[in-house]
Amino acid sequence: MKREIVGKRAIRVDGHSKVLGKAEYPQDIQKQSMYHGKTLRSKKPHAYFKLNIDKAKNLKGVIAILTAKDVPYNHHGVLFKDHEIFCTNKVRRVGDPIAFVVAENEKIAKQAVEFIEIEYDEIPGVFDPIKAMEQSAPIVHKESNILYHYKIRKGNIENAFKQCEVIVENEYRTGMVDHAFLQPESGIAYMDENTVVVCASSQYPHFDQIEIAEALNIPTENVRVINPAIGGAFGGREDITLQIHIALATKLVGKPVKTTYSREESFLAHGKRHSMIMKYKTGANRQGKLVAMEANIIGDTGAYASWAPNVLRKAGVHATGPYEIPNVKVDSYAVYTNNPFAGAMRGFGAAQGPIAYEQQIDEIGRKLSIDPITIRKINGFKVGSETATGQILEASVPYIQCIESVGKALGLEQKEGIR
Amino acid sequence: MKDINLKINGKSYRLSTNEDMRLIDVLRDELGLLGSKEGCGEGECGACTILMEGRTVNACMVMAFQTDEKEIITIEGLSNGEQLHPIQQAFIEIGAVQCGFCTPGMILSAKAILDKDTNPTREMIRQGISGNLCRCTGYAKIVDAIELAGKLLRNGGNNCEA
Ligand code: FES
Ligand code: FES
Repeated sequence: MKREIVGKRAIRVDGHSKVLGKAEYPQDIQKQSMYHGKTLRSKKPHAYFKLNIDKAKNLKGVIAILTAKDVPYNHHGVLFKDHEIFCTNKVRRVGDPIAFVVAENEKIAKQAVEFIEIEYDEIPGVFDPIKAMEQSAPIVHKESNILYHYKIRKGNIENAFKQCEVIVENEYRTGMVDHAFLQPESGIAYMDENTVVVCASSQYPHFDQIEIAEALNIPTENVRVINPAIGGAFGGREDITLQIHIALATKLVGKPVKTTYSREESFLAHGKRHSMIMKYKTGANRQGKLVAMEANIIGDTGAYASWAPNVLRKAGVHATGPYEIPNVKVDSYAVYTNNPFAGAMRGFGAAQGPIAYEQQIDEIGRKLSIDPITIRKINGFKVGSETATGQILEASVPYIQCIESVGKALGLEQKEGIR
Repeated sequence: MKDINLKINGKSYRLSTNEDMRLIDVLRDELGLLGSKEGCGEGECGACTILMEGRTVNACMVMAFQTDEKEIITIEGLSNGEQLHPIQQAFIEIGAVQCGFCTPGMILSAKAILDKDTNPTREMIRQGISGNLCRCTGYAKIVDAIELAGKLLRNGGNNCEA
């Protein structure tokens, strides 16, 4: 069969407009007589608050100030509706949206945000996910801070560890990471007769439509979401940010409303890669074959769930890495804290684990005087391998070839006398 | 308020500017030249890169009044109508464009490199784009594209097959 597409270089459809600087990102959309919006965000991680918007409202050029009172259904979230669109009386993290000023221009909107009086009554927060799991910890939402617990039980690790020649135990910690997509969030909303039109860069326009309609309490057919050019996303645009704010605003004032975040606000507004604490105990026999592994993985999802259960499930499923281990025990948890919230980011929970399991296998190799390439070849997945979750890998498992190529590229194959 | 005269993409403009206005505001808000992007507003990302007197500058870090009597080139000034500049051609040919938000600034940095030397080393290219962040591509294809653009310029056209 002649292949026309696969293996050929294609010119991307939007390449032309992008190299000409003509591609239209939300920042670039201008509308006649549009207003500008600016969000007031929490400066405290855990607090009750009282708001007084009178002074800000009277500023010349301010059109409206939206708060929780203006939202028909004040909840959103991809898995659980645990975000408020505007916090009612409690903030759970620095950056929580509290109010949205609509003004004649950006300068006035910014100024008005400064004029909103806010009185915080701070309450103890929790910032360490291990502490957050304790009974006595401050509770971020209702009941427990433990949002999700995923388990794998395979074989019998107690017996297996007894038979190991070497056992390596370590704790690994990774920090939160921001996507830092190059185009900060921006969007414009306007009315088209009865329809609210929202143009914003999103990874999830069909779901945005549902969440906007729910929040405004209008039918989904009266919400149109347009995704113009998007300046990167990497998971960071899966949770909604400004879409509902501008939709509410345009519906209220009847004119187009636009908002563009600064880089700083962008950092405050969207989720992060989960920071994880990973405790690993890995054992191997004298030949270097991995026999048992126990992993305890705690993911800090901050103040909101976003995709945390899926992310920590993935972290758990991939906890052995690409290695055959017959006896496995994995517990992974997603935990609420008052830190910035975490959600989707490239790899979706599979990116943190390698920092732990690859260092574990290196250390085992070192203890048994087996080089890093060989120890991986001994244990690596191949066709027919069984994963920790019991999946048999039936095709396309080129891990060993990959590792051999790495060995060659590093010049290790000859040096270490590996076949 | 200060009146300034400046030349952008070969065209002369006379504008009155506020003292807090930056060059990026003049380009985007006053003149509607929306190809220059703002990614950070503090000189970190290079999305707003333009050429001023032939040198790359961050348009978010230059105040409007500083551009009086200056000559500026933005992404809009590169192509000849729909006829792409060889650098633009090379960028789409190689696949150096993903989300595209860094692209206008990246292309102008590429122009500054190739204006000096159409046969730069990869190291010179890397140096030349070190002020431009790209979060999508990983840079390898951008360096490839600038190499190809140099070749096209040396051959005097933008036929990538040649
Ligand atoms: S916007 Fe000018 S350097 Fe980032
Ligand atoms: S292509 Fe997206 S930042 Fe460079």
